[in-house]
Amino acid sequence: MSPAAIERPMLESACSKSSDESRRSFANLRGVQWRTDLGILPPLSSSTIDDLRKVTADSRRRYACLRRHLLVDPHLPKDGSNSPNLAIDNPLSQNPDSTWGRFFRNAELEKTVDQDLSRLYPEHGNYFQSTGCQGMLRRILLLWCLRHPEYGYRQGMHELLAPLLYVLHVDVERLSEVRKEYEDHFTDKFDGLSFQENDLRYNFDFKKYLDSMEDEIGSHGNATKVRSLDELDPEIQTIVLLSDAYGAEGELGIVLSEKFMEHDAYCMFDALMNGAHGAVAMADFFSPSPVGGSHSGLPPVIEASAALYHLLSVVDSSLHSHLVELGVEPQYFALRWLRVLFGREFSLENLLLIWDEIFAADKNKLEKGAGDDTGSTFGIFSSPQGALISAFAVSMILYLRSSLLSTENATICLQRLLKFPENIDLRKLIGKAKSLQALALGPSISSSSPRCGGAYNHSKSMVVRSHTLPSDSISPKTPLNMVPDSYWEEKWRVLHKAAEQRNGSSGKQNPTPKKGWTEKVRLSLSRTASDPSPAKAGCGNDHKPSVRRRLLEDLSQELGLDEDTEKAGCDEVSGQKDHICKVVEVENQDGVNNDFTCVAEERCLSGIAGSEENSSLFSDPSSPLSGANNHENDSEKSSVASNSSIDETDDHPEANHEDTTLPVSHLPNNATLNSGDNNEATGKSLAVPKERKLLSGKFQWFWKFGRSNDGEETSEKGNGALDVTKSANDAGSQSSTVCSSVDGSCYSSTTGDLVDQNMMGSLRNLGHSMLEHIQVIESVFQQDRVQVGSSDNFSKNVLVGKGQVTAMTALKELRKISNLLSEM
Amino acid sequence: MVLVLAIGDLHIPHRAADLPPKFKSMLVPGKIQHIICTGNLCIKEVHDYLKSLCPDLHITRGEYDEDSRYPETKTLTIGQFKLGICHGHQVIPWGDLDSLAMLQRQLDVDILITGHTHQFKAYKHEGGVVINPGSATGAYSSFTYDVNPSFVLMDIDGLRVVVYVYELIDGEVKVDKIDFKKTATTRSSH
Repeated sequence: MSPAAIERPMLESACSKSSDESRRSFANLRGVQWRTDLGILPPLSSSTIDDLRKVTADSRRRYACLRRHLLVDPHLPKDGSNSPNLAIDNPLSQNPDSTWGRFFRNAELEKTVDQDLSRLYPEHGNYFQSTGCQGMLRRILLLWCLRHPEYGYRQGMHELLAPLLYVLHVDVERLSEVRKEYEDHFTDKFDGLSFQENDLRYNFDFKKYLDSMEDEIGSHGNATKVRSLDELDPEIQTIVLLSDAYGAEGELGIVLSEKFMEHDAYCMFDALMNGAHGAVAMADFFSPSPVGGSHSGLPPVIEASAALYHLLSVVDSSLHSHLVELGVEPQYFALRWLRVLFGREFSLENLLLIWDEIFAADKNKLEKGAGDDTGSTFGIFSSPQGALISAFAVSMILYLRSSLLSTENATICLQRLLKFPENIDLRKLIGKAKSLQALALGPSISSSSPRCGGAYNHSKSMVVRSHTLPSDSISPKTPLNMVPDSYWEEKWRVLHKAAEQRNGSSGKQNPTPKKGWTEKVRLSLSRTASDPSPAKAGCGNDHKPSVRRRLLEDLSQELGLDEDTEKAGCDEVSGQKDHICKVVEVENQDGVNNDFTCVAEERCLSGIAGSEENSSLFSDPSSPLSGANNHENDSEKSSVASNSSIDETDDHPEANHEDTTLPVSHLPNNATLNSGDNNEATGKSLAVPKERKLLSGKFQWFWKFGRSNDGEETSEKGNGALDVTKSANDAGSQSSTVCSSVDGSCYSSTTGDLVDQNMMGSLRNLGHSMLEHIQVIESVFQQDRVQVGSSDNFSKNVLVGKGQVTAMTALKELRKISNLLSEM
Repeated sequence: MVLVLAIGDLHIPHRAADLPPKFKSMLVPGKIQHIICTGNLCIKEVHDYLKSLCPDLHITRGEYDEDSRYPETKTLTIGQFKLGICHGHQVIPWGDLDSLAMLQRQLDVDILITGHTHQFKAYKHEGGVVINPGSATGAYSSFTYDVNPSFVLMDIDGLRVVVYVYELIDGEVKVDKIDFKKTATTRSSH
């Protein structure tokens, strides 16, 4: 047929251009593009306009049939019978099969649908809220749900449908624009002046000829000059062709047709929901029960959310673990993201761009290798389109990375995830998603241990979790960003290393400048602050244990500053001690006295160290404050642990005293932990001043904590500490308290059982370490006090003599405590 | 598609205890948009029960109704139709078509619904319709004991009304349907 023959070259020329830009030629005809992507229309490059028309007409006919069949008019007798059985077909009939029964059920469904439709896209209300559009949406949704009773109508389906209808509408509008501009090509005027090659039907009407002649002469040139179709833009060409009414199907075959928008939208919606041609079936996301063929017995949307988290863990483990710690399960936000394909997170224009990408993604299911059966359990990764969807979600999470990491509150995290910011660079997001998609499709995903289970049941495994750090399993080609481990994981590692080392390791290492290290600790601590500076992040994870080892060695030989400083501190503190103890008792509000007393004690001891803060040896009080906070947080674990252990074993009054001594012993621990101070002291004095500094810092911190309990403000670090101790306080069982502090989660659940053994072990270790440190300190005391020499401060010399005695008593009590601990 | 229930003469608790269970199972809330009650309920509990089926309840006073605030007659418009309600004991002779037609003209309605005779009747008369839903409980009337429980459901759709009659005959619910079409022009006057 010549029309087809003529059209074919045109179409192909149009398409060849389009293939250059891959999809840009239909940038303005999204409706057609999406229909092609969804599989409703055959791809333009390999088909004629006739094929297109045929397919379009078929799909529309199907819809019309469905509509006639399912939309019920109860007045019309069922099945064409003229005398309906009135006992069944009356309006009040209870019979579910009766026409009226179906009518009422449809009415119910319509009511549900209407509830959602009335709230659809109010910002674009002039289109979406118009009665015509609403009527179409309602009918489409109704019919789809009636056709698929196993899914029913779920909220969110309307949001999937709305953009589909919208793009069709936009296409039709574009068509009418083009029609206005290029009128001649749309009309069938054969007045001799314009002759369209693609139209062979010769319809010469004299009258019309005369009229049109006059029109042409009189026209103000709205229509462009007549030219052949070839001269037009390929885009315009295709528009003209697609709106052509000629062909076997007649009007039904016009690809761009306003009259059949409902039919087309239904076909698109159906294809989208059912996952035609291997695409991700959106309908699965709405089903509450596991789809057959899934490896895990989870509903598909839960599985997909877990897949999302899995991908995130591979890409950015610290963010992932942060979210998991907080208890932010993926489905809280991913449910909405996935079910509506991000419809609620972006404005309509952005959403159209995103859907362009998603629909264009390759839909073929990947061949999975043999070894993957054990690995990948995520159905969503089995096709590039699914991988793109999850990759896009992960890139959205990564976009919010800094704001997510900065908060310790799960609710705030969720709020941030659910309220995606307005002004975003969509291209960047999409680009990132594409790179992540490649990652998701790669073998690394299957090879890394599927943490979906972990993500799903994270609450039980707070302690255990640290054993399965994903960093171990990251495949070499992965990370797009190197992210430091979270603060608490470092702590855990440090604790364990310290435990090993206390059990008799030996190895000296030179202290590396610890400035950066403390900085790093401080910064990683300041999760409540806005941004952890990644610069410091890389510093000395390993430095901690090595430093600690070194310090222990040094301590044993250490002289100098020790006694001076201690005495100085003790002296000052002694005066304050009573006061503080009183404060402590005042603060014994919640019955968590022991913690408070410990706080107080530490405060005392920090007082001891406080004097030294004035020294040039140590950094300014303000900085040790922060540094101390670091130390504090480092040490709080142990201190809180010890507190809790004391709670378990001691009476109140005894606890008071013991608590006093406790922090001192712990502080040496912490001193070793926190090697890096802003300290230019020599190596010798390094250890002890650090201890002191730790003491001071810790006390400052706890003091602040105590003050906060009086209702005063705390620093943000105080907050962090507050939370930790609060969690410690709140926990019914001490073990869970310790656990929470050990793991560093402010919101750990109180799972006492799981953690008991770990706690016991750690307590025992603590006891040992305490003992060792006490020995060290005592040895230090027994030596001659004078030393120090370099970079000493004046105040120490003054206070040396006085502080000695108190320090000794404090040490004795520390020893008692450590004995108790060791016995546990 | 407006469903209107026409019901009356229940005479609860004096002459009948309750609606027949088969009727009760059919009358569920949510399907019916209006209820028209001719009267003689007689007590408030019945009024409340009907109210639970549908909030839009129109009721006129029968001679045994205990609530004296119901009006004697009532008119309302549903869709294209004007409906009139009256209990019917005021119209003498009881149940006489001509007298009822007089009332219909007086009220100027297309559909007149009256009761009191406890017998279902549906007349097409002079361009209008007169409907008697009978007694929903089958209570005895002043002149007969042999009363089948019945009520009427009207489906008003544009210019057309379909009247479904539900009768309990020998323990079975029988349904019948009558079609009425309103002429577009007003009724011819007499």
